[in-house]
Amino acid sequence: MKRRDDEWVSLLVVTGATLLVAFGLIALVGSNLMVAASSFLRGIFGSSYAMSEVLVRATPLMLAALGVSIGFKTGFTNLGAEGQLYMGAIAITATALVFPGLPPIVMIPLVILVGFAAGGAWALIPGFLKARFSISEVIMTIMLNYVAINLVGILVRTSLKDPAYPYPMSPILPESANFMQMLPPTRIHAGLVMALLMVIAVHLLVFRSRLGFEMRAVGLNGRACLCSGIQVNRATILSAIAGGGLAGLAGVSEIAGLHHRLIEGISPGFGYVAIIVALLGKNHPVGIVFASIGIAALQIGSMAMQRTAGVPTSIASIVMGALILFLVIRDSRQSIAILEGV
Amino acid sequence: MEPIVVVTTFFAASIRMAIPLALAGLGESISEKSGLLNIGVEAIMLCGAFFSFMVVFSTGSFFLGILAGMLGGLSMSMLHAFLSIRFKANQTIVGLAQNFLALGLTSFLFLMSFGQTTTLPSTRVLGDLPIPLLSSIPFIGQVLFSQNLFVYLTLGCMVLAHICFYKTDFGVALHAVGEHPIAADTAGLQVHTIRYIAALFNGILGGLGGAYLTIVKLGFFQENITAGKGYIALVAVILGKRTPFGILGAALVIGGAEALQIRLQTAGTGIPSQLFAMFPYLMTIAALLLTIGSANDPAALGIPYDRDKR
Repeated sequence: MKRRDDEWVSLLVVTGATLLVAFGLIALVGSNLMVAASSFLRGIFGSSYAMSEVLVRATPLMLAALGVSIGFKTGFTNLGAEGQLYMGAIAITATALVFPGLPPIVMIPLVILVGFAAGGAWALIPGFLKARFSISEVIMTIMLNYVAINLVGILVRTSLKDPAYPYPMSPILPESANFMQMLPPTRIHAGLVMALLMVIAVHLLVFRSRLGFEMRAVGLNGRACLCSGIQVNRATILSAIAGGGLAGLAGVSEIAGLHHRLIEGISPGFGYVAIIVALLGKNHPVGIVFASIGIAALQIGSMAMQRTAGVPTSIASIVMGALILFLVIRDSRQSIAILEGV
Repeated sequence: MEPIVVVTTFFAASIRMAIPLALAGLGESISEKSGLLNIGVEAIMLCGAFFSFMVVFSTGSFFLGILAGMLGGLSMSMLHAFLSIRFKANQTIVGLAQNFLALGLTSFLFLMSFGQTTTLPSTRVLGDLPIPLLSSIPFIGQVLFSQNLFVYLTLGCMVLAHICFYKTDFGVALHAVGEHPIAADTAGLQVHTIRYIAALFNGILGGLGGAYLTIVKLGFFQENITAGKGYIALVAVILGKRTPFGILGAALVIGGAEALQIRLQTAGTGIPSQLFAMFPYLMTIAALLLTIGSANDPAALGIPYDRDKR
């Protein structure tokens, strides 16, 4: 009971400290605190459209964060969700443009599969190199992000370019490759349903399957697993592929649900923010649902705050960074307290 | 242009591209040798770049600007060290969070100071400082001795770090706390103090690397101006096996790739420039593959030291 209370108190302290940082920054710009706070809240809850935008933004974050969290389970620090997302986006665009005549019933499963495969293949590179040659995946995944982003830049200017326009973008994809709009006029699309289904799938994989058990065990103590016959390399590589695949689905969802064509910059750093989301959600699928909605709300709200109160949106990154640091401090204090209590 | 001129300018450009990577990489290697793994080099460089720019912009003094760059870098590296040592936090997560923090903070403060402008506010840049006599040596004089202050500073730091690592007690202590902190502690070394000192160097050198970008190379600041250079510096550390001259060599190779891609981009080949922009990153990946089988990480890298644990 006591420990439970402590947990709530420390969470309150973390929230308070984070709010203090945000208020401090707003005061620094010289904006009225009340105006800023009300425009932030109105940006999120002001209308049903505003609230729907939060869910639209949470969709790719949720998918990519699920991917990142699977990697974390085996100790595969995947900072490459951004690149894997773009590979998924490339895959759906190329597939839909090559086979424009497919009916939706074939097209949708096909683009989801190739998007997953493309993201998974992109993550397989660092996964294999880590498992086989112990090359740091942290750096490898980041480098591959830049490669993937530039690859998109090349493709929208060459083989995937729309010949009808002088701009770097692909043609509009055939309608059979579009995700259903769930609640027009809002932009919520079937990608959200896919994300929620993936939450269940990841939960089953990680907590209810033998492979998931092995993955978690490898993350906790690789050496002990090696000694007890669990195939550590296999678990690492599979978690990398599954994680990359989910991030690839985030790319599929953004193209099929929102943009309907490949352009540069479809992701304003979703893959990086997904890492924060995974950490906030404690790498738990359900936690990630809440964390992705929370972070999406933070970003949507801060955009409104920039429009009406003149507070730069980068306040969202500062708050995310500070929040993680405060949580890190809180977690380590707790583990210290628990050790001392024994 | 004559071929020799092309080669000379290419080498000179490679060196200039390598400087921020070499400085930040050297700082990180000191930190890693002591056992502190800081993937927040990006944050250190970004703060160095921002604060040095702001100070040069408002005071016009390069001396104060360089100082501010160092302090900016220090603020990040010391925060990392404090959380890693005092709170035994996961060092990778702290570094990652700091990258977010620094990216947000520098953009925020920049927008706050200048607002949304179409023309970037700029300053003059630190000029070249040819060394008398040496700079008139053919080729080498052009490549090596007609450069700016930071180039000489970097070379000096490399020599000093080499001496420090391999010829001084501090170098031995640094190795000891990174390889076997318990033994180091038993032998009377202050593990935590040495790690804080290592973080101090990391902040100063990384801050200088960032300052180079704004007040020497570009003369302006923009959001996310480092664009992954901090991560590439981490590669230089691994590739250079944490030895000063190894890191310098690795930085030169990657800097060369950067210089080459800029030349190809401006050559007007009709090929999308993204193909060339990708080149340094591919080069970095290839370089990482070369380190297969020769990893020499300090044994206690990334592991918090706890006296009461065995």
